[in-house]
Amino acid sequence: MREKRQRAGFYFVLPWLIGLCVFTALPMLAAVYIGMTDWDIVGNASFVGFDNYIKLFQEEAFVRSLWVTIRYAVLAVPLIIATSLAIAVLVSRNNRGVGVFRVIYYMPAIVSGVAVAIVFKWILDPSYGLLNGVLSFFHIQGPDWLYDPAWVLPSYLIMAVWGAGGGLLTYLAALKDIPEDLYGAAMIDGANTFQKVRYITVPLMTPIIFYNLVLGIIGAFRKFTDAYVLGGAGKEGNFYMVYLYEEAFGHYRMGYATALAWVLFVIILLLTFVVNWTKKYWVYSE
Amino acid sequence: MRKITGKRMSAIMRRLVSLGLAAVLFATLLTGCGKGSKDKNTFTFATWAAGTELQEFQAIIDKVNEEANGEFKIEVLSIPSDYYVKISTKIAAKTCPDFFWLTQELISKYAQMGALADLTEQFQNSENLTPDMYYEGVISSARYAGSYWGLPWIANPIIVYYNKDMFDEFNVPYPAADDDWTWEEFLDICREFSGKEYRGNKVYGTVIDGWPNIETFIWAGGGDIIAPDGETIILNSPEAKKGMGYLQTIVSEGLSPRYAEVASLGDNNVWYEKQRVAMYFGGMQDNFEKKVAEMDESERFEIGYAPMPVCDDGGAWSFDWTASTVMAKSLEGDELAYKALEAVTQAFFEWKIAPPVKGSLENVVKINPQKEAAMDTIAYTMDYARSAYYIPEWSDINDKLWYNLYVSLLNDAEFDYEGKMDEIQTYSEGLVKDRK
Amino acid sequence: MSVEKVKKPGTHMGKVRLVLWYVVAIAGSLIMLLPFVWMISTSLKTENEIFTVPIRWLPTQFTIQNYIKALEVVPILKCMLNTVIIAVPKIIGEVFVSALVAFGFARFEFKGRNVMFMIMLATMMLPYEVTMIPTFMAWSTLGFADSYVPLVLPAFCGSASFIFFLRMYFETVPRDYEEAAWIDGASNMRVFRMVFLPLAKPALITICLWSFMGTWNDLLGQLIYIDSQEKYTIQLALASFSSMTGETLWGPLMAASFMALIPVLVLLLYAQKYFMEGVKMGGIKG
Repeated sequence: MREKRQRAGFYFVLPWLIGLCVFTALPMLAAVYIGMTDWDIVGNASFVGFDNYIKLFQEEAFVRSLWVTIRYAVLAVPLIIATSLAIAVLVSRNNRGVGVFRVIYYMPAIVSGVAVAIVFKWILDPSYGLLNGVLSFFHIQGPDWLYDPAWVLPSYLIMAVWGAGGGLLTYLAALKDIPEDLYGAAMIDGANTFQKVRYITVPLMTPIIFYNLVLGIIGAFRKFTDAYVLGGAGKEGNFYMVYLYEEAFGHYRMGYATALAWVLFVIILLLTFVVNWTKKYWVYSE
Repeated sequence: MRKITGKRMSAIMRRLVSLGLAAVLFATLLTGCGKGSKDKNTFTFATWAAGTELQEFQAIIDKVNEEANGEFKIEVLSIPSDYYVKISTKIAAKTCPDFFWLTQELISKYAQMGALADLTEQFQNSENLTPDMYYEGVISSARYAGSYWGLPWIANPIIVYYNKDMFDEFNVPYPAADDDWTWEEFLDICREFSGKEYRGNKVYGTVIDGWPNIETFIWAGGGDIIAPDGETIILNSPEAKKGMGYLQTIVSEGLSPRYAEVASLGDNNVWYEKQRVAMYFGGMQDNFEKKVAEMDESERFEIGYAPMPVCDDGGAWSFDWTASTVMAKSLEGDELAYKALEAVTQAFFEWKIAPPVKGSLENVVKINPQKEAAMDTIAYTMDYARSAYYIPEWSDINDKLWYNLYVSLLNDAEFDYEGKMDEIQTYSEGLVKDRK
Repeated sequence: MSVEKVKKPGTHMGKVRLVLWYVVAIAGSLIMLLPFVWMISTSLKTENEIFTVPIRWLPTQFTIQNYIKALEVVPILKCMLNTVIIAVPKIIGEVFVSALVAFGFARFEFKGRNVMFMIMLATMMLPYEVTMIPTFMAWSTLGFADSYVPLVLPAFCGSASFIFFLRMYFETVPRDYEEAAWIDGASNMRVFRMVFLPLAKPALITICLWSFMGTWNDLLGQLIYIDSQEKYTIQLALASFSSMTGETLWGPLMAASFMALIPVLVLLLYAQKYFMEGVKMGGIKG
């Protein structure tokens, strides 16, 4: 009886399964094939087997863009999670006017990447940008940011932190589900704010942190829009997806670009497996 | 306990499916479903024009359609962003627009990939518009492998805009409006201004930040990247290196603001508009005249015009940015399509500065009366300006020239640009050798 | 410590801490708002004032010319309406179906569930850029060129990231909930409708917003599928303010960007009170 009931779950996921077969699987299969051709989008394609994959690992540009992206992901993902968690805790208080703050902190997520990029070009400008203006107020000579290879990555991290409010909604939805009597009990035990956050909030938020971690990894590895608009000195802003996009639509090497996409796919997939495997050690469940 | 039965679930699914179908129907009604088969005399024209420019474009097309009197009809397809992504995607899906714009450097690429109709036959035998009516420097950009692949509709060569008030203030004589001057002379004039103060700001001779393009400098020494045969790479010639040497001088002597500083004004042309540089390499089309006229009284200045400094070999010296209208491969040989293409191209000659055909200079003043003062320089430049020679591998070569050569030199005057040019020479030769 | 003094988080804070809270919240807000302030200020500037050194944060003379010009260049309101026409059916499909599928993944243990879930996550990992062309080719063969259908229809099979999010959410609901309902003789669908949907209200509103913003800010997808200017969406309208041979109209572009932001802001302001409302399921959980 119970088993039969469990089987009903299959019917619930059926719409997705249909979508997978109809809308997702076919283009993905096509992409498997394209990755093994020298297709230039406009003209004909001929089958080249694994040549694209062999070539890719010999390309310096591939290694570089992957390295840029990995460094970014390693730093940005935890930074974004910590920041947006902090913001969520901040605006979870029911103080007067908190609604406005919630909206404000979430606002970076509602504008498109291009608009953000244009504005940050101004904020990070070496000579007249806002950031270096503020720094010079404290008698600090600001760096050249996007024009100095060493400062390109920090520039993108600043942008990432600024946009961290994008995860706010997920945390807020979860924060409210934390039973208030738990805090009450902690209070009786004499716990301070930090302890409450550390021992109650964070553990109960772990499922959502897990969700944001997985999506954060995907997002970091697929970083594109602002990097495409802004670039960065010494090709330090040449993230993996920027490289892929250029190969596909700038140089019309769709076969090669598709191979790049599959390599990215495998990297993200492996990372997700690892994260998923660690889930049982830190993610709270019933 | 009630269990979910297949029957019940299918009821749910039915509802979902009908919901989905309703949405499809809804959307289909709104969009008027897939278009029916197209008439043989209707042609689609893809353009990157958008916004105000599109309104002008549409007006031209309307006029051409009207004059065609039902013989053919052109429909506009505007692509306001990621132009080439959409163009190539449409070609891949066999829904290629009948006509579309291509910039000079992509013509050889698209021709080689087999997307374009060969227009040579119709072009050469036309009664209205033939290749020799074009400026040679422009029409060469539509030629590849011995054939013509498009009809150029715009030419935007580089000239030198200078600030007469600033020249007066520092007692520097103006360059001639229609005569040669050398790069050495240009640099000397730059030195008169750079580092000085004007209207409370530090000023420079000129501004270089990746614009003008690298060809301008390589040509300056009498060299080139690709030889006129459209095959041989000649980037490592002493002339090409000497030309890059001029750029090196500009960077090392600080004749231009630092690379990292240029973007702070939004764009390089703003340096000229805000009177922070004495001279600016601008396209003929740039409308500084209008901008200055709209400024507050106190911020206006008088614009001077000069042709580009002459190359060391005395040859053509102004880079000419051109674009052509091309035709889909499937229409090759189609008389009516070619007629439509020709009619619309000729209409463009009254629209953009500068028309790429000889004897059309008076159109420039008609299009933009404010260019009157520049006419001597424009006339002089049009005769000599030219586009570069492009090969299908250009996008790769250009990447290297930009990131590994130009930007590197802008950032570091000590950069070994000569060695890098040798390296890119070898790389480019390899690409050409590997061509399918 | 007496029980009365037990403070619930976010209800009664000490005066000092309250002031501190406002200081931090306001400081953070200012940073978040910067780009928007810049956008609005630019939209009110005359052309000559847009690029100045140093950056001028407030125009010396305010003008609404940019707004008038923006409305002249493209029919912004019509484009917004078009976007809503795409967004509404998409939200209905995406949110409802994603909830259904998430329910299936979260509350049943049918065969192949975990594998399917991993496959679902994997579909998010292959960059859209390489499946875009095959997908377009398929739709175009089916006769759906220049149509909203390819943009809307796939939504009715759910969205992977939404399913993932809702699954996380549903998993935290205590087992006794549906057990009780089942004992009362409720069907699975009824449990889903009567128990899970109401419980997930904040989460559902969150993904409604995401779905809307996804449509509102999508450029590449809409660019590829839409040809006619009568069908232009807001992002295509915004893209129309610059081109290769025309000049970029910065003032009108910023004015239009700001106008495009207003509907999203209104929606966000309206929705924000629901993010935190949540059904207090924690009380029962304890």
